Amino acid sequence: MAETAFLHRTSYKNEPKTAAERVSDVIYWILRAAVVFNIVVLFFPSFNPARISGMINRNLSLFSCGVSYNSIVSTFGRAFRNGWVEESTFHALNVCSMVIIVAVIIAAAGGCMSLGNHKLKRSGLFVSLAGGIVEIGALIWLKSLYDAVADQAIAANKLDRVLPQYPHNNYIYMALGAALIVLSIVNFFLVPAAEHGEGYDMEPRFQLFLMMLPIIALAFVFSYLPLYGWRYAFYDYKAGDVLTSDNYVGFKWFTSLLQNQATKRDIVTVLKNTLAMSGLGIATSWIPMMFAVFLSEIKNGPFRRIVQTFTTIPNFISWVLVYALALAIFSVDGFINTMINSVSETAVTTNYLMDTNHMWLKMLAWGLWKGVGWSAIIYIASISGIDQGLYEAATVDGAGRFAKMWYITIPELVPTYCVLLLMSVANILSNGMDQYLVFSNAVNRQQIQVLDLYVYNLGINSGLIPLSTVVGMIKSVISVILLFAANGISKAVRGESIV
Amino acid sequence: MSELSLKKKKASSGGESHIKLTAGDIVFNIINYAFFALFTLSCIFPFYYIFINTISNPELVTKGSITLIPMELTVQNYVSMGKVGDLWSSVVITILRTVIGTALMVMVSSLAGYLVTKKELWHRQFWYRFLVITMYFNAGLIPWYLNMSMLGLTDSFAAYIIPGIVSPYNIILVKTYIESIPAEIEESAFMDGASYWTIYRKIIWPLSKPILATIAIFGAVGHWNSFQDSLILNANSPELYTLQHRLYIYLNKSSNLGAIAASGTSSGDSAALASSFNTKIIQYTISMVTILPILCVYPFMQRYFEKGLMLGAVKG
Repeated sequence: MAETAFLHRTSYKNEPKTAAERVSDVIYWILRAAVVFNIVVLFFPSFNPARISGMINRNLSLFSCGVSYNSIVSTFGRAFRNGWVEESTFHALNVCSMVIIVAVIIAAAGGCMSLGNHKLKRSGLFVSLAGGIVEIGALIWLKSLYDAVADQAIAANKLDRVLPQYPHNNYIYMALGAALIVLSIVNFFLVPAAEHGEGYDMEPRFQLFLMMLPIIALAFVFSYLPLYGWRYAFYDYKAGDVLTSDNYVGFKWFTSLLQNQATKRDIVTVLKNTLAMSGLGIATSWIPMMFAVFLSEIKNGPFRRIVQTFTTIPNFISWVLVYALALAIFSVDGFINTMINSVSETAVTTNYLMDTNHMWLKMLAWGLWKGVGWSAIIYIASISGIDQGLYEAATVDGAGRFAKMWYITIPELVPTYCVLLLMSVANILSNGMDQYLVFSNAVNRQQIQVLDLYVYNLGINSGLIPLSTVVGMIKSVISVILLFAANGISKAVRGESIV
Repeated sequence: MSELSLKKKKASSGGESHIKLTAGDIVFNIINYAFFALFTLSCIFPFYYIFINTISNPELVTKGSITLIPMELTVQNYVSMGKVGDLWSSVVITILRTVIGTALMVMVSSLAGYLVTKKELWHRQFWYRFLVITMYFNAGLIPWYLNMSMLGLTDSFAAYIIPGIVSPYNIILVKTYIESIPAEIEESAFMDGASYWTIYRKIIWPLSKPILATIAIFGAVGHWNSFQDSLILNANSPELYTLQHRLYIYLNKSSNLGAIAASGTSSGDSAALASSFNTKIIQYTISMVTILPILCVYPFMQRYFEKGLMLGAVKG
């Protein structure tokens, strides 16, 4: 494939580069790095140059300021009513932030074009230059908006409330904008002019990379960027605070896990629940396999298909719906109580869902009810792949039904089972929270709270963000170690990795 | 599973029919059939029970007379659901997120799956691993939440869509599938001067439709069932609640009222009792509205679901 690509695009000969081109390449790398950095700082509240008043939410990034006017002025109701500041200034601030975002997007486009041939590169330089100029222009405008807010606050004699503050982050953006301009101009002299008649073109590897870039960016933002949130574990943080050196507490939350008696008790209970539920799940992980083995003993095709269709449905409904079904069947006025009442004289109203006996087993039962049909499919497929000749030969040798199951079917399924088992061992700390959240109530909380639910309750409901971050961090790290261990075992025993 | 295997089974059962069943076989068969019949019944019955309650006279439902067969058929319950205003916003939000979210996810997975099969891609191995690693590692719920709020993705519809666009698992499925398409088709298009984009659009996209259908169905079910993002990110925007979240709220309301009624602590409070029974009908009907799309789509899509599972099992 690669050869074909190069055959057909003959312009990519590996010609030796001139000294000027090598210098321009280095400058391009700096330019692209500046663009990437510029994009990244857009999303960080601590680098927000649009925070020209102390009243603006500290946790707002320049990006949010640009896309949402409401987020800027969410705290300005009184200030606008009493005329401390003018609303139009903040509309302008919103537009100004938007212009900076647009400037960064233009610069990014220029950065992408710098991956092309000479002609594309030269056009790209105009684009990055334009981006830099727009950015600097918008920043000058931003400065004037700051002056306007300061003037308005002085006129209204509310300096102490409006807290106008010079956006020092301006300098970072100024520097980036200036870098864009300077580097673009320098490269004008270094990038050789396009040959006459040369069209816009780009090497295939960069074409493909640019198509990939948005996907990479999304993955970075939603899967890697959250890791930056781990820093909250080292601060004494409450919603709305800022992280500064004042509330930096080092490993306080880590040690408090072991020292604070109440937390320690909670953690022990939660771990007990988590390990019990996962343990029960692992202990019953052979059930889907046996489900498949016995289902394949049913020779009536339509019956088997019906069973397979209906037993997989529960896998596709949410846990909330499972809970709705549970209520319909087991609640005070549900099916079971209604049935009992219709035959017995004395009215019974047992609320099975409020009953806390055997909570772990009940959760296991719900998990099995929901998952067994689906989990069995993979085994059913393996069974249908087994050579029928084996069974026939066994029958001739006088093997009975169970002997065939035990000596032919099950050995075929064990490798698949082992892989799934290893995966579930690696996931021993992650039971998910949906099931336990929907079934939890004031009565059964002690038995039902697993690690994922505990983190949710602690962080989202109780607002103990640092502590819940610590618990989540430890969980993530242990999970990764377990995964590597499981993978290592799989490699050593089966010679295949599972991830 | 497949037609082929079913035929094979038929052939083998035909072979066995010549052998006389022993008493042990008969006992085994009875137990085996009974077990699967009962288990299948347990999977169907709750749905049936809720369904017959939603189509019966509400007065009989509140009295608890509907157990096995529907009585005095009516669509009144569904009609009166229309008066529960917040339900419809949830239905609209859920449909929108399912359609938009799934469409974007499928397009991106398809493109990404194609790109990671191209050896020319700049640092292909690195970027592929960069995507795949995210399946096995996550920073945790709270950092995720803080990140989303830093990005301004709280109390917004975009919070349902954007984070789900890149799905590494589906990218792997598409990649595996595209690798099975003969490379010659693509090469000949290359020789004719087609660009990567043209090849992707004119060749890869149409040829990979079966796998795209599979991931679309999984994606749609995932969106339809999703609940956590509504619960955590949009807690302060009731107009953005998804159907599952709305159902969860109604279920909790009802179970709390039901608990009060049962404990007898406020037995004199007939209003609470009455409202608990009203919520019961509301709850059944919302459940049905929430389940029906999945139940209707499922029988037609079953083979796609199973194919998806199989492909996942052989992923590389």
